[in-house]
Amino acid sequence: MKRTFLAVLLGGILSLGTLGASTAFADQTVIRVGYPGVGVDNQPYGYGDSVSLAHVGHFLEDAFKDNPNIKVEWTFFRGAGPELNEALAAHQLDIAAGLGDLPSIVGRARGLKTRFLLPASEHGSLYLAVSPKSNINSIDDLKGKKVAQFRGTNLQIATDAVLEAHHLTEKDVKFVSLTTADGLAALTSGNVDGSFGGEEYLDLQKRGIVKIVYASKQDAPIFGTNSAVFVTEEFEQAHPDLTQKVVTAFVKAAAWGSTEANRPQVFEAWAKAGVPVASFAEDFEGQTLARRNTALIDDFIKARYADKAAKAKQYGLIKKDIDLNSWFEPKYLETALKELKLENFWPTYDANGKKLTDGMVESQKQAAAQ
Amino acid sequence: MARAPYFSSPSLQTLALQNPAALAADQHAALLLGGFHPVPTGDGLIAPQAKQGQDEDRVARVHDTGPGGAGTLDRINVAISNWVGDHGGRLLLGLSFPLLLFIVWQASSLYGWLPDQILPAPSLVWQTLQERIADGSLWDDASISLLRVLRGFTLGVGAGLLLGGLMAASRKLHDYLNPLFLAISQVPTLGWVPLLILLVGIDEGLKNILVALSVFIPVTLGTYQGIRDVPHGYREVGQVLTFGRAQMLRTIILPAAVPAIFTGLREGLSNGWQTLVAVELLASTEGLGYQMSYGRQLFQLELVIAAMLVIGLIGFVFDFLLGRIENHLQRWKVAA
Repeated sequence: MKRTFLAVLLGGILSLGTLGASTAFADQTVIRVGYPGVGVDNQPYGYGDSVSLAHVGHFLEDAFKDNPNIKVEWTFFRGAGPELNEALAAHQLDIAAGLGDLPSIVGRARGLKTRFLLPASEHGSLYLAVSPKSNINSIDDLKGKKVAQFRGTNLQIATDAVLEAHHLTEKDVKFVSLTTADGLAALTSGNVDGSFGGEEYLDLQKRGIVKIVYASKQDAPIFGTNSAVFVTEEFEQAHPDLTQKVVTAFVKAAAWGSTEANRPQVFEAWAKAGVPVASFAEDFEGQTLARRNTALIDDFIKARYADKAAKAKQYGLIKKDIDLNSWFEPKYLETALKELKLENFWPTYDANGKKLTDGMVESQKQAAAQ
Repeated sequence: MARAPYFSSPSLQTLALQNPAALAADQHAALLLGGFHPVPTGDGLIAPQAKQGQDEDRVARVHDTGPGGAGTLDRINVAISNWVGDHGGRLLLGLSFPLLLFIVWQASSLYGWLPDQILPAPSLVWQTLQERIADGSLWDDASISLLRVLRGFTLGVGAGLLLGGLMAASRKLHDYLNPLFLAISQVPTLGWVPLLILLVGIDEGLKNILVALSVFIPVTLGTYQGIRDVPHGYREVGQVLTFGRAQMLRTIILPAAVPAIFTGLREGLSNGWQTLVAVELLASTEGLGYQMSYGRQLFQLELVIAAMLVIGLIGFVFDFLLGRIENHLQRWKVAA
């Protein structure tokens, strides 16, 4: 008995040794990219931002195709921002692509060490959908009602700001935390009185299953959702060159996604997540792609994040203030813009949303219109 | 081994010590039956003869109240020291493991074994608890959860006692119902959630039904077993004394079935509490389970841990209370 045990133990130790030897030769770097969200039926696709375009168009993989030792691994988190934060805390991710404003602020307030590389989406829409027969006609009617909302995502802070503008607080409404897909199902089956969400509700409205009584597009810019690309400080310090290549790839994708001529292809790429092309067309009506898929760190996006951070503290979603200045890391973005000759591609805006400089992408559109 | 609970209140003993003549005949008889043999000592007090082992210590301590007789403060003192003596060792043993876990937790946050966002420091959890107690939100959530579990528990116990009793009374009914009952009891309670959500939505109805279901199953089983296992000899005594059905039930069957029924009740309450928290995690707008879900979404895991502590404490109190009620109902039992 004892001899058998010793023999097994010895065998185990030896095999572990060979395992160690084999991994020493591999020397592969895996860039672990996380996206906070899944498609409507849990498909591993995102929508509404430039990073999903990068995913569908394989921009990241193409950037490293000459280097067989570098692999890019995408993970799509059904639990959105909150679940992605947990993965960041457990050191399981290197890049958070398209992480929403609130989860990234919450993560930073809790001590997650990340750097803000570039925005992935701005002016994202917030919709309030209710049942067609419902007596809720505006935000004011929400008092005491049961409403589905994906808590902890950028929908929550946007909703809180809208509620505040209508003199309501979170305590006045009974919020149920449901994922995007579950929220759709709950509203359709009548289990909740209303649901806050994004463009996924537009198709339901078209089919008469819900009616939308609030759209942030018709409101001030503070009520929109934003998301950005982050890198862990650990990965950035270990691989600044890889970080640069990743940023360049994302900027390329954002440029492609900001060119008006590509509008139909952009919507089709996003439609892989199960939201129909027509919904994006409706959501983006009256807006340029460039406005929403911009990759610039300008005063507008900095002001938006400062706003959201202050509001998050005000609503009690974070306990202490966060240091925004050391968070933004524009050097990779600037290098990428120079490399791709896109320095003047996008227009810049000031903190209030007023345009400061024009961008080449707009004149392209005008040229196309002529 | 249960000590005769009739003597767990010091008053009867003290009464016997101070003024044996004041005892009524049945109390005196009970004392004798319980092995409490009064023996007169020289100073007018009577001292109970030691029975054996444990009781010796207890007896000695009771006797040490001094010649003037047992005053109120002394009686309290004696009661406490008796209790600590009896239960103190077990209390220490019971606390040792949680204490060890706490030390490991504190070490983990000091040395960073787990990231601080995933396992917050004990001091942060304590601070969160204090804040939530101060602004009343802990009481709000806890009371909502407690009300829900009590409603479901009442429903489940009522249904369980009824069905268990009926199945025990009628062999035919048992043969008809038992297979279906067993099949249903195999399905995990949370497995019913998707179906029930479609039928009753995510309101209070869902919680009531699920908690009642998780309580109903062990209570039915316990009741059935308890009533079936009443020794035949006891029933014969009842028949010999020509008890009617009601009297048989009240004086023989139910008291004899108490242990099994209470096992069912304790398991039922524990199941019900766990089911409620799980349902609140999935589909709720308030309550302790909702706090856990909210804490997770907002990356404030100290909220999660604080809620877990409160949930565990309440579950512990439930079990303790039921145990005391069970002891009280079993006071007819004489220590073997």
